[in-house]
Amino acid sequence: MKTLIIGEVVEGKLSSGTLEIIAKSQELGLEFEVATVGTEESPNIGSESFKNTYLKCNETQLSLGSVANTLKTMVDEQSISLIMAPSTYVGRDLIAFLSVDFSSSQVSNVINFSIEEGNVITSNSINGGESEYNSKITSDKKFLLIRPKSFEEVQVELSNTNYETIEINSEDPEVFDIFIEEKTGPQLEDSKIVVSAGRGMVDSSNLSLVEDLASKLNAAIGGTRAIVDAGWMPYSQQVGQTGKTVKPDVYIALGISGATQHQVGMKDSKYIIAINKDEEAPIFQISDLGIVADTLSIVPKITENL
Amino acid sequence: MKIAVCAKQIPDPALDITYSEGLVSRPDEQVLDDTDRYGIEVALQLKEKFDAEVTVISMGKMGTEKGIQQALQMGPDKALVLEDDSLSGSNSLMTANVLSELSKKVEADITIFGTESTDGYSGVIPQQVSRMLGLPCISYIKAVDIADTVSLTRQTSTGSEKVQMPSNCVLSVTAGGVEPRYPNFKDIMAAKSKPVEKISLSDIEFSAVQNIEFIDIKDVSTTKQGEKIVDEGEGFQVIIDKLKELKAI
Repeated sequence: MKTLIIGEVVEGKLSSGTLEIIAKSQELGLEFEVATVGTEESPNIGSESFKNTYLKCNETQLSLGSVANTLKTMVDEQSISLIMAPSTYVGRDLIAFLSVDFSSSQVSNVINFSIEEGNVITSNSINGGESEYNSKITSDKKFLLIRPKSFEEVQVELSNTNYETIEINSEDPEVFDIFIEEKTGPQLEDSKIVVSAGRGMVDSSNLSLVEDLASKLNAAIGGTRAIVDAGWMPYSQQVGQTGKTVKPDVYIALGISGATQHQVGMKDSKYIIAINKDEEAPIFQISDLGIVADTLSIVPKITENL
Repeated sequence: MKIAVCAKQIPDPALDITYSEGLVSRPDEQVLDDTDRYGIEVALQLKEKFDAEVTVISMGKMGTEKGIQQALQMGPDKALVLEDDSLSGSNSLMTANVLSELSKKVEADITIFGTESTDGYSGVIPQQVSRMLGLPCISYIKAVDIADTVSLTRQTSTGSEKVQMPSNCVLSVTAGGVEPRYPNFKDIMAAKSKPVEKISLSDIEFSAVQNIEFIDIKDVSTTKQGEKIVDEGEGFQVIIDKLKELKAI
């Protein structure tokens, strides 16, 4: 099945989400090529083992509409039937635009897929990961948005050669005031330990307790949708269905009840420690170690004694 | 200025979502998806500045219309909704088709969404609607600055960027981008007399088709038989010992 993987450049190389989809495509023996979207100059995204086309955008324009036009031409000219992207801000916009162009709805939040007799079968995680929802795409064109961390990423030598560049020129709205968030401390995506906070922290001022603990453990800090909605933490730190998926060695859930929305983003962590004062909190059903305690008083004790 | 703002009625999110034949089971009484409150808030702030007319648009099973009322209570002028049994189990594109037509019906200059619903979370409807309408899509808005012009701050994977709001466009607003207002008693009473127009599939141009076939739902639950300890003062030590054992520290 002819396949197009829509990739992204992150810090001068292919994003991990892209490498994960490449790995899965290789495993399935798909005939695939990659089209990578980015704004950086000559990133290291080329490889001898697959064809890549760099769609270079102007960072001062919202150019994804124009990128989609270029991708549409590629899909048409090369009779591609399977089009995949990581479920990121960029991937979601592009797959949405293309699904309209080809009148074929996408499947979002895909955690696994297979090809059976020319059909694409997709799996989604529902009920907080307790069930898998399987469906078959019946249209000629098949669009998938793949949840990051669904597959192990491929280990591949990348260079700034072995790819063609297409400059995207657009008349889309102009972008100004580009702000790059300073990445301080361990990041959610690749930290070995993640400490996350929920409503049980009671007040945003208590997040300092979480920060102190995370700093001692050299851990990244995450939060539930509830506290992100409440403005305690930026969206970039949200763990869950509508936020990030993390799989650290140790996940420490502080005052998190364990709504399915949250579980989806962290349940595959290798070891889960949960602290909650409600003995019946659903988080305990997926924890390796659960401590029924007042989160606000136990957290400083851990930090002090580390 | 005319604004369409999307509101979705969803089953009470405090309860687990249940499925029947692959479809989310929807009771008669559904509530407004909290995610939509952010989009509605942006619509209302634009209304206050530019004297815009704000119409709530929605599709799906209407039932008691509680969620539509909750949307109207915040301050929009009216609602235009479409209910049709054949739309049950719509894929994203079918939903986007209906919503883009509703946006056209109200002659919206600006169409506003949350970023993804709490029960479906496909996360692509605003972008699909923009493509169908041939308008720019400003997605993942996390801050709005309304002066004589409107500056929108978008969330990106590396930080944020700002865009001036075009006069015709589609917006998606992330949760937390603005502080949704709470209706007071007067707002709640006023909403009851706001017009809710109902139209059917034959009133719009609809061409999207179903291309996602449900196969099955498999139980893959992995309930852990983890340890659970009620803290009697030594809980912190148990955690520290475990972290050492895991070589995390």
